[in-house]
Amino acid sequence: MSDTVQTPTAEPGGSGIKTLEVQIWRGGAEGAFETFSVPRRDNQTVLDVVTEVQRHHVPDLAYRFACRVGVCGSCAMTVNGTPRWTCRTHVGKVAGDGKLSIAPLRNLPVIRDLVTDMGEFFDKWTKAGGKFTGTRSRAEPMAEVDPTSRARRNADAGIECINCAVCYSACDVVSWDKDYLGPAALNRAWTLLNDSRHAAQNETLAAATAHGGCGSCHTQGSCMRACPVGISPTRSIAGIKRMSLLDFLGMRRS
Amino acid sequence: MHVEHHQTDILILGTGGAGLFAALHAKQANPDLNVTLAVKGLLGKCGCTRMVQGGYNVALAAGDSIERHFMDSIEGGKWLPRQDLAWRLVTGAVERIRELENEVGCFFDRNPDGTLHQKAFAGQTFDRTVHKGDLTGIEIINRLMEQVLALDVDKLEEHRAIELVPAADGSGLAGVLLIDMRTGVYRFVQARAVLLATGGGPTMYRYHTPSGDKSCDGLAMALRLGLALRDMEMVQFHPTGLLGGPDTRMTGTVLEEGLRGAGGYLLNGAQERFMANYDPKGERATRDIVSRAIYAEMRAGRTTPMGGIYISMGHLGRDKVAKSFPGMVKRCADCGFDLAGGLVEVVPTAHYLMGGVEFEVDCSTAIPGLFAAGEDCGGVHGANRLGGNGVANSTVFGGIAGDSMAAFIAAGAPLRDPDKSVIDAGIARAERPFALKPGDLHGLRDRLSDTMWDDVGILRDATGLARGTEKLADHRAELAETGLSGSSRAFNLTWHDWLNLDSLLTASEVITASAQAREDSRGAHFREDFPETGNLDSTRYTRVRGDGAGRLTIDTVPVDFSIVRPGETILKDAATAAQ
Repeated sequence: MSDTVQTPTAEPGGSGIKTLEVQIWRGGAEGAFETFSVPRRDNQTVLDVVTEVQRHHVPDLAYRFACRVGVCGSCAMTVNGTPRWTCRTHVGKVAGDGKLSIAPLRNLPVIRDLVTDMGEFFDKWTKAGGKFTGTRSRAEPMAEVDPTSRARRNADAGIECINCAVCYSACDVVSWDKDYLGPAALNRAWTLLNDSRHAAQNETLAAATAHGGCGSCHTQGSCMRACPVGISPTRSIAGIKRMSLLDFLGMRRS
Repeated sequence: MHVEHHQTDILILGTGGAGLFAALHAKQANPDLNVTLAVKGLLGKCGCTRMVQGGYNVALAAGDSIERHFMDSIEGGKWLPRQDLAWRLVTGAVERIRELENEVGCFFDRNPDGTLHQKAFAGQTFDRTVHKGDLTGIEIINRLMEQVLALDVDKLEEHRAIELVPAADGSGLAGVLLIDMRTGVYRFVQARAVLLATGGGPTMYRYHTPSGDKSCDGLAMALRLGLALRDMEMVQFHPTGLLGGPDTRMTGTVLEEGLRGAGGYLLNGAQERFMANYDPKGERATRDIVSRAIYAEMRAGRTTPMGGIYISMGHLGRDKVAKSFPGMVKRCADCGFDLAGGLVEVVPTAHYLMGGVEFEVDCSTAIPGLFAAGEDCGGVHGANRLGGNGVANSTVFGGIAGDSMAAFIAAGAPLRDPDKSVIDAGIARAERPFALKPGDLHGLRDRLSDTMWDDVGILRDATGLARGTEKLADHRAELAETGLSGSSRAFNLTWHDWLNLDSLLTASEVITASAQAREDSRGAHFREDFPETGNLDSTRYTRVRGDGAGRLTIDTVPVDFSIVRPGETILKDAATAAQ
């Protein structure tokens, strides 16, 4: 996701595109694309394009956003066929030819237009063992954790997930296996398995390796390529598989 | 109009740090309680706790003390905070940060020896800000969200509260009227206890930082219910919001304070540094001073093409900037700006409302059954909030509210019958735009944000505030005539834009009235016609109420220096040194 942003004048052909041809999904699971003409501006994200369509073309266009800066993970959509966070996707990065198609995330039920029901995504987050269980109370001091330890570095590598479901939408396994917990939930489980304070290690490992867990991953890496914040769930899932094997062999390091 | 009815023991409005902590604590106090969470977006994914970059202030380290944190908060708040609330904040923060780390599972950054890392933050005499990188809010909210998702609670996501409904017999609060945003259906939730934790958020200004869902709904509902709002003139501006023009939602979002701290330059439109003309500390002066200086440059016309000023980091070395501020550099790059080596246009941006509902240390309010916590509340921060005290405020008082509501119910709180006339009035207000001809709703929102920025903004005077008052009346009249096209109520964001504007206008009127009443300058409030702070010993706070018909009454109330008086300190070391 490190493509450079192009200003309008720098777009292929140097044509200085003035207008975007924008196709937006209308309806639910059954629906169709509608086409709109939207002015191209220098500073313009895909979310801004959607907003422009709501304000000037379709007042009841359904879409979801909150923070505007890539921390809430509410505004992900399928942009020209690829799942992306729309608030931080510059139009110049994805619409070099002046065309945009914007659809809801795949692999989640569509509520209407660009909005999906994220319920199953969060249900699977919980099902994958994604909840911390501590041993200390609020009356006790905090645990000392070596910031350079291998486990802590593993946890740090995956912890800043914003649960936007872009990886869940990018994953082909999710699309054909509805039991599969998906990349984000397993990535969270991996950060817990590397958290020396987490008491429910066995429970989380069991949940992450049960039916629909890490064994279902085909290591295609779509999640890793799609993640807007640079996390590699593929690596995390591989870590769970390795840990599970070592656990089976009685060789897991505590 | 059809209204669906629900019953619950506890209804929580909002799922930021305050709402989620309240749910956790209420269920810990009594797992059998029926707890319902209603939120305008998705659980844990809207609101502003999640957007916290800096961190969480708490006195933990050897050499620091809660007394020191308290004094920093009182002095930062310019002696305006309600001192018992500020004291509860700093003492509660110690327990709450341990709870977050030990029980909720937040994995805060560590020192090389494994202990918690605490960083320096502006306006504090000790390095006490606990953090997780520069995305502390994500860690706090994600972990809280996981804990709450695993609880047996009812979730009303994408439900917008539009009216706090009192009991028909006047004995307290009966429940809340909401709109199910996905279907457009009205829903009345009757509850023994309700928590107002929707967050404030000054999004009525042309440039603003909060989440797009924030529109002061909680404050507007509280005012209509008859509650008093205090300190509403205190609107904190962050000096450096990204400027991308009027048609992008990225405009106004924060570029972090650390950029100035690290040696970044602020340049006016002529690409000249100017901060030394305003303060000897230059770019490293405090938020309020830098915001005023930038605003003064802008007013003098020394602006960039889009009407702001520049922040420039390149002289520190492109690689060094990219390494020190990866999140900020990437955020700018995603939006098409080169922070590490180029010039990025910025403006001061409205960030936080220090004011809000008057509430008690146990989070109760003047209405039995209604509790409040977080940015909906006033009195904790006074005239200015220290960076790092915001998330401490929402989590400390959110937890207290959960405890208090559980105790309130254990003591026999009843389900009260609602005053149906209030439900009818709430529905009539929400339905109004469907009966009107479509108008220029988004233009009206722009006009409101221009009015607040130009006349009730960073530098204020009597003439501007009077002009702002007149314009707000015009905006109010225009909204009352502005309708919607079509009749669909399901996931109709333009309907919610209309309702957002209604709430924002109400909050804007209160801010303006409060700013007129405060004829001095302190903290976030600066009157060019009254630039002096005046005598701290006679400090008064502003208090606004509504009469139910859109008129406001305002009075000023002496601050009770219940713990420490201006000029004094509770720090033993400092007191000893002063002798």
